[in-house]
Amino acid sequence: MKRYLWILMALVMVFSFAGCQAAQEEAPAAEETPAAEETGVFEGDGWSSAHYTPDMAGTELNLYGVTDKVRPILDIFEADTGIRVEHLTMKNGEILQRLENEYDSGVVIADLWFTGGADTFINAAENGLLLQYESANGSDLDDVMKDPNHYWYGTSLTLVNWVVNKDLIAEKNLKMPETWEDLLQEGLMDEVSMSNPASSGTAYNVVSAILQTKGEEAGWAYLDQLIAQVPFFTARGSDPANMVVNGEAIVGINASNGDRDLEINNAHIKLVYPKDGTGWWPQPAAIIKGTKNEDAAKVFIDWIISKRGMQVTAESRYAAVARDDIEIPEGIVDIKDIALFPTDFQANAVKRDAILEEWAKHLENK
Amino acid sequence: MAIPYYLMVGLLAYFVILPVAGVVLYGAFPFESLQYLLESAGRSLPFLGRSLFIAFFVTGFSVAVGLAASIALWRFEFRGRRLLRYAMVLPMINPPFVGSIAFIMLFGKRGLITHALLGLSVSPFGWVGIAVMEILSLSALAYLIISSSVVKIDTSIEDAARNLGTPEPVIFRGITLRSMAPEISAAAVLVFLASMADFGTPLIIGGAYQTLASDLYIQITGLYDMRSAAVSGTLLLLPCMLLFAVQRRLVKKKNYYAMGIANPDIVYRHYSRPLRRVLTGMAGLYGFMVTMKYLFIVIGAFTRQWGYDYAPTLFHMRTVLERDFSPFLNSIQLAFFSAFFASMAGVLLSYMIKRKDFRLKRTADLVATLPAAVPGILMGVGYLVAFKYPIMGIGRFWMREMPPLILLGTGIIIYLICIFRYMNVGLRTGYALLEHLNPNIEEAARNLGQTEGKIFSEIALPLMAPAFGSAFFKNFSTTMTTLGAIIFLLLPSNKVAVQQIFQIITSSAMGVAAAMALLLSLVTAVMLAVFRIINAKLLRIKQ
Repeated sequence: MKRYLWILMALVMVFSFAGCQAAQEEAPAAEETPAAEETGVFEGDGWSSAHYTPDMAGTELNLYGVTDKVRPILDIFEADTGIRVEHLTMKNGEILQRLENEYDSGVVIADLWFTGGADTFINAAENGLLLQYESANGSDLDDVMKDPNHYWYGTSLTLVNWVVNKDLIAEKNLKMPETWEDLLQEGLMDEVSMSNPASSGTAYNVVSAILQTKGEEAGWAYLDQLIAQVPFFTARGSDPANMVVNGEAIVGINASNGDRDLEINNAHIKLVYPKDGTGWWPQPAAIIKGTKNEDAAKVFIDWIISKRGMQVTAESRYAAVARDDIEIPEGIVDIKDIALFPTDFQANAVKRDAILEEWAKHLENK
Repeated sequence: MAIPYYLMVGLLAYFVILPVAGVVLYGAFPFESLQYLLESAGRSLPFLGRSLFIAFFVTGFSVAVGLAASIALWRFEFRGRRLLRYAMVLPMINPPFVGSIAFIMLFGKRGLITHALLGLSVSPFGWVGIAVMEILSLSALAYLIISSSVVKIDTSIEDAARNLGTPEPVIFRGITLRSMAPEISAAAVLVFLASMADFGTPLIIGGAYQTLASDLYIQITGLYDMRSAAVSGTLLLLPCMLLFAVQRRLVKKKNYYAMGIANPDIVYRHYSRPLRRVLTGMAGLYGFMVTMKYLFIVIGAFTRQWGYDYAPTLFHMRTVLERDFSPFLNSIQLAFFSAFFASMAGVLLSYMIKRKDFRLKRTADLVATLPAAVPGILMGVGYLVAFKYPIMGIGRFWMREMPPLILLGTGIIIYLICIFRYMNVGLRTGYALLEHLNPNIEEAARNLGQTEGKIFSEIALPLMAPAFGSAFFKNFSTTMTTLGAIIFLLLPSNKVAVQQIFQIITSSAMGVAAAMALLLSLVTAVMLAVFRIINAKLLRIKQ
């Protein structure tokens, strides 16, 4: 029996070192793909890339993101280019932590980062975690839709909207909210759900946008009143919508692609875009610094911001996108109909700590 | 056996101490100022208070329910007993996360029971919801552990006392309860730790009432502040360590042995009728609530809009079945291998610690049990910060140019964390079994000139097999639904099913989440049934 024990222990050892072995073998396999010839720009159907060569087919890229909804887009990208992209979905903060530590150790797991809060991308760029890449297709995007230093490019748009429980509005005889002031009506006391701006990009976007449009003083005065309406601030940005769908709150401040899914799937829900403006941000795509597949990753960026990529994004994510030469699928709200807050993402990222500190003070005074 | 033992201790130190120390040091260094540390800790103190309150409350309730059910279901005879035994272990294959959502839909402002039935409109968010959900899932754990002692009770001692005229309450307290003490205290410790480390439940139904573990999660994912998370993580460790010390002291000094393993005639005919009713009632109520929770999740998976529109539909199931199935396969593979190695190593270690004369035994026990006190997410962070350096962590300050030896980014690291994280389950079940096994049998064999190897393989191992089995079942089902520990270590190519469910829940597609969680439970249940059959066959062959 002693022998079996030994075998078992040996197995454990082999087992644990097999991992290292495997890594050793993988390392050379992930060699740099040959650089594309500078002379030619590859022209695909509706997309182009200076870095694409047909021998990239079979290359595998890894991608971090915040939603599983990127899968269909990645599948079409594979059909177009032969480059396979595996994705892993996490929260913004988790991605940022992982990237920092992976960069620190020189282990590059992800080549790309697609979808997330603009502020986390800016944060990552400042910490040297992203690769600068000036895509030729970038000139098709408006300046607000991309990073001035070419660290990231915006793709689909995320719009802040309100998820409203129609049944409860009718039952309690309330006015359907249309402007931010309407959220302060008496009947909505303890019935407005909002996430914690410290832990949710959606809520932080709302707070910073309100401060930016109303000015510091009037902005905080408004926020104080809003704070009084909210029973507690949820941990995650997705919680308020769920609470309203479940009837735990009447109005929830939510982030959406511009789709009407919630309304279509739930007879008691109405999506409202505030008339006096709402927060928004583009979902960025970026290359991770240190990637061993730099050229293939650049092809992805070229592709996703090309007309083809944006069209695919608009259709499969059912979303409004950063280019204006795209046919918008039916059912999506037209951005031209929505009042958007003017937003300075760079400034918001820089002021984040100061605003959150102030927010904590106002929360205590509640 | 000395070499495997010291090897195991070495591996434990490596894969437990290094990451945990990594987290603690990560919070404290580079040392900026005591002020910063104190501020971080001060911020976390109220959360710690809540965690402790919930944990004590839940432990008290769960152990009471587990004890009552153990006695009622194994020592009384009544109709529906077998059925109830199955209901009791349902939470072992708990569909992750959706249970809390079921609670909101039943007891919320618009809940089926509170609103539709009773006309109330109360907020379900708060500590009551957390406590109820944790009691519902953790009582099953307490029951499983405590009931394993009931079947091992030597009723002849009870009878002897009875014949000598001892009053029933004294028999119960002095003999029955006392011989179950190792399991009861082990159950209490495990329930307490599970409650302390649970971050999913408070996150979903805690509302403003967040505990230290869920606050930790928010600090990392929302505030991007891993350093202060490390400080509060350290704070979370302290009471858990303290509890170990206390439990060990209480159980260590007393020894209780029973000769037989399974006693067929344990039905107790002397309990007073009211007591019997109370205990059976408690078990019945618990079984009923657990079954209802399940039913309601099934309803959620097969109706159009959970909580609002109960028209039947197969839409959610179809959506789930259309998805890529590789995460499910990854889950099964991970759960099988890590449960096998964790349980085997744990049980072997328990034998070596209790029955052999090695050095560092207390240390080995402490180190192997430590992961139980570390919330999964904290341990995951530990692996992240410790094993991102070459030579599996120790090449931190030299040999920066050896990427092939870095564990982070390999598929193996999630196996390692699951094995070392759940080894303590095998250790506990091993201890619990050994408490009842009289070492005189081995002594006798030794005196008759048997070799150590034979004693181990012919006597100890067959007797320990049930401990391996129960640890394996527990570890397999836990690993199937574990997320916190591996979220930082997963690769895009080896995602697991539970991570997918967690993502779906945040996207308001509750029906799909319920369907997927249900499917995961079903897969777990089927796999467990298969293992059980194999296990029974193997045991029969051995005898």
